[in-house]
Amino acid sequence: MADQILGFLGEFGTPEALLDAAKRARADGFRKIDAFSPFPVEGMDDVLSLKDDHRIGWITIAGGLFGILGMLAIQLFVNVDYPIEVGGRPLFAWPAFAVVDFELMILCAVLFAVIGMFVIIGLPKLYHPLFGTARFGLASEDRFFLYIDATDPKFDDQDTRRFLGSLGAWTVEPVRP
Amino acid sequence: MASKTPALPLNETYRDITREVARVPLQMPARIPWLIALILSLALLSLFLASITWLFACGVGIWGLNIPVNWAFAIHLYVWWLGLGHAGTLISAMLLLMGQDWRNSLNRFAEAMTVCAVICAGMEPIIHLGRPWFLYWMFPYPATMGVWPQFRSPLEWDIWAVLTYLTVSIIFWYIGLVPDLATVRDRAKKRGWQVFFGIFALGWRGSARHWAVWQKTYRTIAAIAVPLVVSVHSEVSLLFASGQIPGWHSTIFPPYFVLGAAYSGFAMVAMIAVVMRHTFKLGHIVTERHLDVLAKVVLAMGLMTAYGYVFEVFDGYYSGDVHEIATIHDRFFGIYAWSFWGAVFFNFVPLELLWFRTVRRSPVLLFLISTSSVVGMWLERYMILVTSLYKDFLPSSFGHYTPTFWDWSTYIGMLGLFMTPFLLFVRFLPSISIFEDKEVLAREKEAAAHG
Repeated sequence: MADQILGFLGEFGTPEALLDAAKRARADGFRKIDAFSPFPVEGMDDVLSLKDDHRIGWITIAGGLFGILGMLAIQLFVNVDYPIEVGGRPLFAWPAFAVVDFELMILCAVLFAVIGMFVIIGLPKLYHPLFGTARFGLASEDRFFLYIDATDPKFDDQDTRRFLGSLGAWTVEPVRP
Repeated sequence: MASKTPALPLNETYRDITREVARVPLQMPARIPWLIALILSLALLSLFLASITWLFACGVGIWGLNIPVNWAFAIHLYVWWLGLGHAGTLISAMLLLMGQDWRNSLNRFAEAMTVCAVICAGMEPIIHLGRPWFLYWMFPYPATMGVWPQFRSPLEWDIWAVLTYLTVSIIFWYIGLVPDLATVRDRAKKRGWQVFFGIFALGWRGSARHWAVWQKTYRTIAAIAVPLVVSVHSEVSLLFASGQIPGWHSTIFPPYFVLGAAYSGFAMVAMIAVVMRHTFKLGHIVTERHLDVLAKVVLAMGLMTAYGYVFEVFDGYYSGDVHEIATIHDRFFGIYAWSFWGAVFFNFVPLELLWFRTVRRSPVLLFLISTSSVVGMWLERYMILVTSLYKDFLPSSFGHYTPTFWDWSTYIGMLGLFMTPFLLFVRFLPSISIFEDKEVLAREKEAAAHG
């Protein structure tokens, strides 16, 4: 199925044009759309309704709790398992433990956040059909792309291509597997 | 935050930024100066390797440290290197959260500098261990001997603080780098480069869905990194406070250490910025305004560090403790008074020139003043250690410390350990954040369009 189309990729020249196009595509009823840009375009997360995704925050908090409680548990355990009595001082030296607990909280929060990010966005994934299109390399330079996926209920081989053109796309390319 | 003068020239285009930065790894300009610098730093690195080989063979007795000055270069330089590193995190993380656009031309190489400096800092306590091959004893693993690490020991604080700081610095630097690696991957013409950058870019596509998650993660890590910096250098100052020696117990210590660290670190960033801007002709991206703002930060940090000096002296007298006061007098007039007055001079006298705008915008003067700050902070860390340790409570235990050849060779060699990875970074990776500069440019263009 070499002629199967995965979607269409429209090229725009400025972040404003891309944002505008994405808004109009949403308004026209397209849902399976994505935008590609060399830097995060302000307002795009609003248009694609990505604002309410707080997963990273919760993952980070979970990591922080895991780190601080886990390390504290280790510290308490080792002092019970192998007590070192120094001049009758308490075995559980909370102020001295706090430093390492704090560092481990930070370490685990950051590790969880980063691993969570890669899981959510599905990277690393070294190949993607988009890389097969002629113009997509410019998405990391100075061009802005709007992509409409073929699984969108409103998708149509002819109409969608024309629609992207009507949004002011400089080029419209089909994406093939 | 909107500023009057734009951080980047408005006639710059997105493509210009890509070209100016991405050409450095792909078609290296300034090959010869880079090669000379690399050879020099490899020579230093060899000196370092030779020094620690001899150290591991003979033990720390080859250094000048002994009772009472049993913390010498290793801990002094640990504090110094770690301090240099802190500016990279602060520039990246704190200024990101505060929306300071000017950071975007500086953060990438500042972060790389952090990573290199933290590697050096981490080496210091390890080589000071005496038997560094037992480093793993610091980790809580179920040993056949049935013992566990002593979590009440500051040595444990060190290893976890440095390990955390190193890991977080590398992660923060790398996930900020991924979109730029993708940019260079897409520009690369040769197969080898395409594969190299292709693998490390992880298949980044610049999708809005990815950017949204990425931005949240990046900002979350930034928000975590700021207290991390403060905690790491506060931990270093607590390390001192847990000793009984006079001169290490002022309550100003944690902020004084953090500010001094940030001060030397920002000075280091200014030095690197001036050199890179000159060598790679990046004047359009690292503009005079960047130097100006950096100089202002150095000035502010320097003055806050000066306050720390004043308060430390006040605190000593205010304590009324004879040993505290004696230590202050030793700092002023003792045999190591040169380290105190040297620190005061190099830290705070040339610094005052930064009040003048023309000085702040002059790369050469800024470089010289920053060098003076880094030297001054070096002396300060030496002063805090040695002047406290050489005279403690009993005259019978007073002593002296003179660094030996191996002290110096380890230190000077370690500059190679710092410079070699940094030089490899500027050669092979985009050393200025491409996409973040484009973001700034997009904001500026929009602001200009709407008046």
